[in-house]
Formats: sequence, C-alpha cells, structure tokens
Amino acid sequence: MSASTPQDTATANVEFNQLGKPLTRTDAAGKVFGTTPFAGDYAMPQMLHLQVVRSTVASAKLLKLNTEKARALDGVVEILTADDLPNPSATPHFHEAYGEKRPMTDPPLLVSDRIRFFGEPLAVIAAETSEIAAQACALVEAEYEPVQGVYDPQEALQPGAPIVHGEDNIMVERKIRKGDVAAGFEDADLIVENTYRTPFQEHAFLEPEVGLAWVDETGVINIRTCAQDIEHFRMIADVLDLPHNRVRIRGAFVGGGFGGKEECAREIYMALMALKTGRPVRLEYSREDSFVGHGKRHPMILRYKTGVTKDGKISALDVDILADSGAYLYLSANVLLYAAVAAPGPYKVDNLKVCARAVATNNMYTSAFRGYGAMQACAAYEQQMDEVAKAVGKDPIAFRQQNYLKTGDPIATGFVPPGAIWTDQCVDRAWAALGPRVEPVEPHIKTGRGVAAYQQSYGKVSFLGDTSEAWVGVEFDGSVVVRSGVADIGGGQVSSLAQIAAEVLGVGLDDVTIYKTDSALTPLAGRTAATRTLSMTGNATKKASEAIRSRLLGRAAIEFGVKPSEVLLSKGRVLVGNAPEKSMRLGDLARLCHIDGIQASELAMHCATHADLLDSETGQGQAHPDYTYGAHAIEVSVDTETGEVRILKSIGAHDVGQCINRAAVEDQIEGGAQNGQGYALSEEMLYNEGKLMTPSLSEYLMPTSMDMTEVESIILESRSGVGPFGAKGIGEPAISAVAPAIANAITDAIGVRIFELPLTPERIVNALMDQES
Amino acid sequence: MSCAYDLKVPISLQNALDLLSDAQSMPLAGGTNLLVEIRSGKERPQRLVALDRIEGLAGIDINSETITIGARATVGDLLRSTELAKAAPSLVKAAGVFAGQMVRNAGTIGGNIACASPAADLVPPLMSLDAQVTLQSSSGSRVVALDEYYQGYKQDVRRPDELVTQISMPRLPDQTHNRFYKLARRRGDAITVVGLAVTLTVSDGVCRKARIAMGAVAPCVIRARNAEALLEGNVFDAAMIETAAAQAAAECAPIDDVRASAQYRRHCVRKLTRRLVAEAWNDLEAKVEADV
Ligand SMILES: Cc1cc2nc3c(=O)[nH]c(=O)nc-3n(C[C@H](O)[C@H](O)[C@H](O)COP(=O)(O)OP(=O)(O)OC[C@H]3O[C@@H](n4cnc5c(N)ncnc54)[C@H](O)[C@@H]3O)c2cc1C
Repeated sequence: MSASTPQDTATANVEFNQLGKPLTRTDAAGKVFGTTPFAGDYAMPQMLHLQVVRSTVASAKLLKLNTEKARALDGVVEILTADDLPNPSATPHFHEAYGEKRPMTDPPLLVSDRIRFFGEPLAVIAAETSEIAAQACALVEAEYEPVQGVYDPQEALQPGAPIVHGEDNIMVERKIRKGDVAAGFEDADLIVENTYRTPFQEHAFLEPEVGLAWVDETGVINIRTCAQDIEHFRMIADVLDLPHNRVRIRGAFVGGGFGGKEECAREIYMALMALKTGRPVRLEYSREDSFVGHGKRHPMILRYKTGVTKDGKISALDVDILADSGAYLYLSANVLLYAAVAAPGPYKVDNLKVCARAVATNNMYTSAFRGYGAMQACAAYEQQMDEVAKAVGKDPIAFRQQNYLKTGDPIATGFVPPGAIWTDQCVDRAWAALGPRVEPVEPHIKTGRGVAAYQQSYGKVSFLGDTSEAWVGVEFDGSVVVRSGVADIGGGQVSSLAQIAAEVLGVGLDDVTIYKTDSALTPLAGRTAATRTLSMTGNATKKASEAIRSRLLGRAAIEFGVKPSEVLLSKGRVLVGNAPEKSMRLGDLARLCHIDGIQASELAMHCATHADLLDSETGQGQAHPDYTYGAHAIEVSVDTETGEVRILKSIGAHDVGQCINRAAVEDQIEGGAQNGQGYALSEEMLYNEGKLMTPSLSEYLMPTSMDMTEVESIILESRSGVGPFGAKGIGEPAISAVAPAIANAITDAIGVRIFELPLTPERIVNALMDQES
Repeated sequence: MSCAYDLKVPISLQNALDLLSDAQSMPLAGGTNLLVEIRSGKERPQRLVALDRIEGLAGIDINSETITIGARATVGDLLRSTELAKAAPSLVKAAGVFAGQMVRNAGTIGGNIACASPAADLVPPLMSLDAQVTLQSSSGSRVVALDEYYQGYKQDVRRPDELVTQISMPRLPDQTHNRFYKLARRRGDAITVVGLAVTLTVSDGVCRKARIAMGAVAPCVIRARNAEALLEGNVFDAAMIETAAAQAAAECAPIDDVRASAQYRRHCVRKLTRRLVAEAWNDLEAKVEADV
C-alpha cells in the first residue's frame, strides 16, 4: 500500500515515462518461477566440498591441532591449517576505516595460536562429498589451554579485565564536539538522562553463504559466489600473492545481504583450496555455519543526557556510546562513526558532545548490518525524545517539531546536507495515517502508539572516496545493453539500472538486458552496501545513457534537419513532434551512427565528492554525501498479563528523493518494517561465555507473515538527493525508525518504558510488575 | 549432520508392525520432528518405517459417543474437519496455531503424541478431553489414557515395537466449554512457551467436571489435578477461579530456557488459567441465560 506524494511546485512538472511507477522488476519472473540460478546452483565435474573447522571455545590458546585422523578418512583430499597458509599474517580484514586505535587487531585467516571467539576458523577440509567433509570435521582434534575471556563490554573496560588484544580493550573511539555543552546544560531547565541498550542481530538472509571456485585454463582463479562485494578479488589475490588480474569473481543474484555478505574469508578459503588441489571446490554454509560464520550487528549501550528548556528547546546533548565489537575490529571503526554522526538524530543541537567507543570482548565479532550503527543511535535518540517530551510536559510530536533540523541546517558534524530535510512532513503523514485508535475490548489488552524519525546516510563514508562504473549500449534493433559490476542482493538493484537506461533512451524496461557482477567483464561498480548502489551506479548508468542520447539526438537532428532539442526518444522510436516523415526506429538510428563512426555506447564513471577525514577531536567535516529523512509510526496492542505484543499498524513515511521503481521502494519499506520489528520484539542472540545459545531459526525468532500486519508505505519525493533524478536511498533508512517507534508505542500502551531491546513478553511482564509494586 | 538409513514403505499395518519388531526400526510419519532430530544427530535410526501408505490410519470418525482419530491424520486434516471443530474445539484451535502451513500439511497427530515433547501442541487439548491412545504391536494392542502415557521428559510408555494407531475420546456432554491457548514468542512456527487447555462441564450452576492440561511447563504435558479438584463440585466465583489458577501455577514445574524463564512461565500459567476458566464460565452462564 502506498499513498501518493505532495509535490512541491518547483518539481511538480517533471514527467517520466516509467520512473516512479510500480513496475515489475526485471528479476522478478526468474525468481518467482525458480529459474534464476543462485551461486549455490552451480556445480562442476570433479568438484570437491569444503567444510570449515571451528573452535568450540571462545577464549583459549590453541596448543595443537591434530588432523591425522581426519586426513586418514577415505575421501578427504586436503586439509588446510594456519601452517599451510602461503602468508601466515594474511587476513580477511578490509582496511578501509580510519580511527582504529591499533592496526594489530586483524583477524587471522585460520587460527595459529590464540582463539578469541567461539567458532573461530581453525582449518578447512576438502573432501569428495559434503558428508565426508562433515565427518572429517568432527575428527579434527584441537587441544586448548583455556584463557580467561571477557564477554561484557562494560566489564572489558574495568581495570584488570582480560585483554583481547594488545594493551587495552578499546578498539575505536569517535568524538563529536560542537558548541559549549557545559553552557548548554546551564541554560537547561531540565536535564533528562537515560541509558538504552540494543542487542546483537543476525542478518538471517534466505540464502546462507555459498560459492564455487576453480582455476581456469589460463590459470585465473574464478570464484562464483554470493557476495555484496565482488571487488574483494584484490584482497584474495593479495593473500595468495598473485597479481590482482589473476583472480576473478563472478557473482550471481544474491539471496539477501544486509551487510552480512561483505566479508571474504570464505572466498579466500575456496581460492586457496582450488589452487592447492587443482580441482573445483564448493563451500556451502549450513544455517548453523552462517550463524557463527559472519559478523553481527553491534550491541550498544547508549547513555543520553539531554538538557532542555521549559519551552521545549534542546539546549545541550551529551551522548556516550559503548559498542561490543566482539573479538575483532572488522568494520567497527566505520560503524561507530555512523553511530556518532547520527547520535543527535534529525534535530538541531548546537551544544553537542558525543563519545562513541567500540570495545573488544570474546563475543562473536560485529560488523556491518543495515543501518550500520546509525539505527542503534536512532533506537536511543527517539526513545529519549519521547522521555524528554514527557519530562517537559509536551506532546511528543510538538516537541520534536520545535527541534527538527530544516533543509539547509548543518548536522552534528557541521556539514550541510545538499538534499532536503522533510522530517516534519514524514512524521505528520505517518502519524495521520494511523487513523482512529483501536479501542481494546478485553480488559487485559491495552493499545498504544508511537512514532520515530531518523536521519540515515546514503552513500559511502566521504573520506574513503567512491566511484562506480556502468557501460550502456544501443543495439541495431533498438534494444539496450547495460553492463555493470553491481551486485544485486535482492533489492532490485539491476532492475533499477535497467529502468534508468530505459528512461533516458526512451525504450521499455523489457528492451534492456543487463549483464552484471563479473569483476573481469563488467565495469566495476563497488560494493552493494551503505545504500550507495542506486546513487552511485544509478548515476553512472544515467551518465552513460545521457552521453549516448546526446550523440543519437545530434545524428537524428542532421537526418531530419532540425535542432537536437527538437528530437524525442520515445517507445523505441526517434520522433520530431508528430511529423510522420521525421521519425525512425531507434535501432536504425544506432545503425546510422555505426556507419558514421558515432559511438552508440558509453562507459561512464560516477565519482562521489571526496572529503577530508573528520577532525579527530571535534568530528567536524563531511562524513557522508547526503542523508535520507523519514519516520515510522506504529500502533500496538499489549496483553498486560502475558506481555504479548501485536503490531496493529505499521506505517513508514520516507522522503526517497525520487522513486525509481515505486514497487521496489515499497519492498524496502516493508522489509525494513519486518527487520526492525524482529529487532524490537523477538530476535535474540543469547550468548553464554561467547557461545551462541540461539543458533537456529527455531530459537532466533524473526517475525513470520503471521506476525506482520500490512505495512503502509508513504513515499515522499523531494527530488533533492544526490542520486539519479534527485533520488536518495531507502535500503538502510527503511529500518532505522521502526524499533523506537515500536518501543514508544509499547510505552504509550503500558505506561512504563523498558530501556533494553528486544521488548520480550517477559520484560514487559516484569516491567508491569515492577510498576505495580 | 547426516545419516544413512534404510527406508521401508509398508502398505499394510501388519507389515509395518512386523518391521517395527526389529529394534533398529523407527516409525516415520510426517517426519517434521524425526528428520530434524536425525539432522542434528539426536536420533540415528538404521531403518525408518514410513506410515503414509498404510490404509485406514488417517481417518477422523465422530459418532454420538466417541471421537476417533487415526494416528496418521495430519494437523491440516484436523483443521479441515468442520465436525471436529464443533466436537473438540480446543484441538482444532491448537491445530490452527500449530507451526506453519507446510508443517501442518505433513505433521501428524500420532507423531505429535509419540515425540513426547512437553511442548507438543495437540497434547494439552487431547489430555483435557480425556483422550486415550491405542498402541499396537505385532503381538497385540492396548489402550492407554493419555494422562498416563508420559513418564518424564521425552519419555512415554510406548515400546519401540508399538505404533500409536489411533486416539479416541468421549463426546463432550452439553454445557461443556473447551478451550486452548498457545503462548509463544511469535505467531507462526513457534515452539510453545505455555500451552493451556481447559475443559469445564457445568450443570445447575455447579462445575461437574474440570480438566486443566498444561504444556511446556513440566518435563511432559501434565494435568493440574489439584486445581481441577478445587473447581469440581463448586459454584464458580472470581475468588475461586483465582485460587484454582494459583493452584495450577503451583502444580507446574517449568524450567528456564532461551524462550522464557520458569518464573515467567509460572506467572502465565496463573494468568491464562484464570482467563480460560473465567471465559468458559462466562460463556456457560451466558448460554444458560440464553436457554431460559
Ligand atoms: C518448523 C516446525 C514447526 C513446528 N511447530 C510445531 C508446533 O507449533 N507445535 C507442535 O506441537 N509441534 C511443532 N513441530 C514439531 C512437529 O511438527 C510435530 O511434533 C508433529 O506433530 C510431528 O509429527 P510427524 O508426523 O511429523 O512425526 P515424525 O517426525 O514422523 O515422528 C516424530 C516421532 O514420533 C514417532 N512416531 C511418529 N508417528 C508415530 C506413530 N504413529 N506411532 C509411534 N511413533 C510414531 C517417530 O518415530 C518419531 O520418533 C514443528 C516442527 C517444525 C519442523
């Protein structure tokens, strides 16, 4: 469901052939009919099956790894341990962050001496069948010497706590300083201080990790894998000590990523084994492997201290964020940057102090997950906004209104986002769409409603630099080819590129064929992450298409004796007004260009604006290219006896800049609502001394269709984003505000706030009992 | 993770029972429990005896005295029987909140009973309906009351060579209310945190018979016999219902696990017993008034 947009007068006259319409994605039919091959569908003759041997303790010295018995098993072909690595210090860590305290926290590819988390890879087995590989796995004997571990980020900071790496457990520290916080608190009539806790979260994509690697006839290592980033071929080559051009990653449609398929240890294992055995190798994770095989969302403890005047202005904000990075750094440095930048939310806070730290523990390591630290901050600041509103006796929305950032205002880092800030419209629309309140009939049921707004970046961190390429060409029959290395992780990424080319070149979506995700043959487009793909590769595709368009129009203008601006491309034809004699098929024009040596194809690159590092003391500068703003509103019912929660209404209102495919935008909003609902209510990764106690989908409880209500999407289009046609991003933004909206609704229903997510029935019952006594 | 086994697909019950007299054999009904256990290595049978080709094992028969359900009836079969919905409402309610569509298509009532899980959803309703289980082996058959069938965590009186062939229960008298509530951490595909079934028969304003069966709050599904005794022979009032609910909570023996703590489960047994008994009582009162 979705409601249409109020268009402001400046942009109301833009007319598109297909942009913004709810089109059937180009990848839909194959997926619905089951004909789309995923990485796991590829097989080769003589293929071996891999299995990763993992530690069964979280903190220990590895004294000995005994592989004899496993090697002796019939059908076992090869076993790789740390001793067999060409470069023992090789690491699957990607060095793209700044702000790590030490560079000495890289995870080893395979453990040689020190085990730091439960499930850490010790060896890789290659066998003739996956059954034999699994059997061999159980035969590998590891001798451990226990080392005292630390499993709580606050304990990890205490003097005398076990140290995971180096000298202390602080892995990353990010700071933001703006204005005069002490003076701001002086000006406050009231100070509200609360601490919010957010949990681990598992990506739980439909498709657990899988891939196939082989060495081809020219000696190039080919890897067919489900990955968000095919440009890890460089890292893989570095580990193998090969030139970068000797490793090729070919993607496939990916069955979900959410940040969980950005790592590349498993591709490195496959490449090493393919080289070592000379045979194709396949590595498929079971769901259990997947639970221990990739980093999780950072749990955070967020302390918010807000100074507010009695008429409702925020005068100062002091935020302290402590994140559990688990045993290794991975992307923690950037995740904490996102959390720090997002800390005040979409509000104007002149006196601001943020300290965000990631601390090492012997828990599962944490890394990228949809929202990337900013959504944890949102979970805290939007609950805090309700608490502050209550403390000053204001309506939560009226209080927010007084403090919203407006278009043109600088955010926490002093940067002025180029796009519009339509928070107020989004909040108002979402709230209004809740309609009349559901009145409970049963005495044990209470209902409540809540809203949350957010600010979430789209596009990669600006100081890292970012480019993306796409190639577009027009065929002699008017069909269009797009080639781009983009990884489609299920969001309709390739379909949107096809649509952009179709829009610019005046053809239908069905007329475009897209070749994707091959690090050797398709132009490199960067990682599908950070809500960057549409804005980066979309712009590259648009740029390429426009270059072709302008050459085609030029040639057509000569043909028809008119000005290029008088020529139209529409429905596969080239037209001048409605003069029938001045019209031809697009393909014929492409052929004319060919004869004249005018290129009907183009390779284009889009480059994001690069910025300096943020100031390390004040955090001032440009962190991201731009931000998406929006809101989510929720109505719940709560069973006050059992603590069960029902989501009655779930409404997302987002300014996406410009919809490319409206249906795909709705998919993101609905998926974000589901993903955020699980985070708020039921998904729990319970660890006991680093060991996951909820390692399957029967214990890790994501909402099912039975748990979801129909999600309503309200799509606003400010046409102000830095993406193609003014698009912003919606992938990550869609999840941001869901959990705090649910938390605020539950608080509204039961009259007491629970400061720790998820809001399980048991926590609700306990809170109600505490309230009674 | 995997295991090789021999699969037998007998077409007669006798044939199945003969195969099961071999100690290495296990019955395979819908497989929705067994295959999960095999995958995780908790069960390693050498031979599986599939029950799905055996005639006459899946019927639902309801006459004026008795309800009889074949062990091979799937959860979906229970849901589709409109007659059963009237005759045994709590059972059909439990079938409706059972797993998800795919598992309901395959999972059977016999498998649900025989897996002996404390969280098996069909068992509390059946127990509250005084169900009996027919066990058959190549050497004969016997009938066991469901409330005497379980002996502890995943322990039952069934010998490995015996099959559950049918489940039967008496028709409910008039003026009887029969309810089930599944408390779980989500609405689809969830393992029960507390399953509660209540059957109350009232005449002349007096509770003639009470059955309260509790799932997932003890090593096996149990009845709250003391709470039942408090209700039976009495006229209902709010205080008495509250006392009986507290008694049911005292009778259960829950544990802490990843889904919930023992304390929470006990709390919910109390609240839900009170709720279900009160609802049944209110409905019956309303019904008496309507009859007048
Ligand atoms: C995703 C999922 C969700 C689930 N949700 C629920 C739920 O909500 N509620 C619930 O109660 N259960 C649930 N289950 C568990 C399972 O589906 C049920 O217990 C089901 O009733 C088992 O029946 P089955 O026919 O599949 O038994 P099987 O798996 O075939 O057998 C289970 C056990 O009983 C034995 N057995 C089977 N039939 C007989 C017989 N006639 N006589 C003697 N022994 C027999 C088998 O040897 C085996 O030991 C779920 C399972 C899954 C996988």
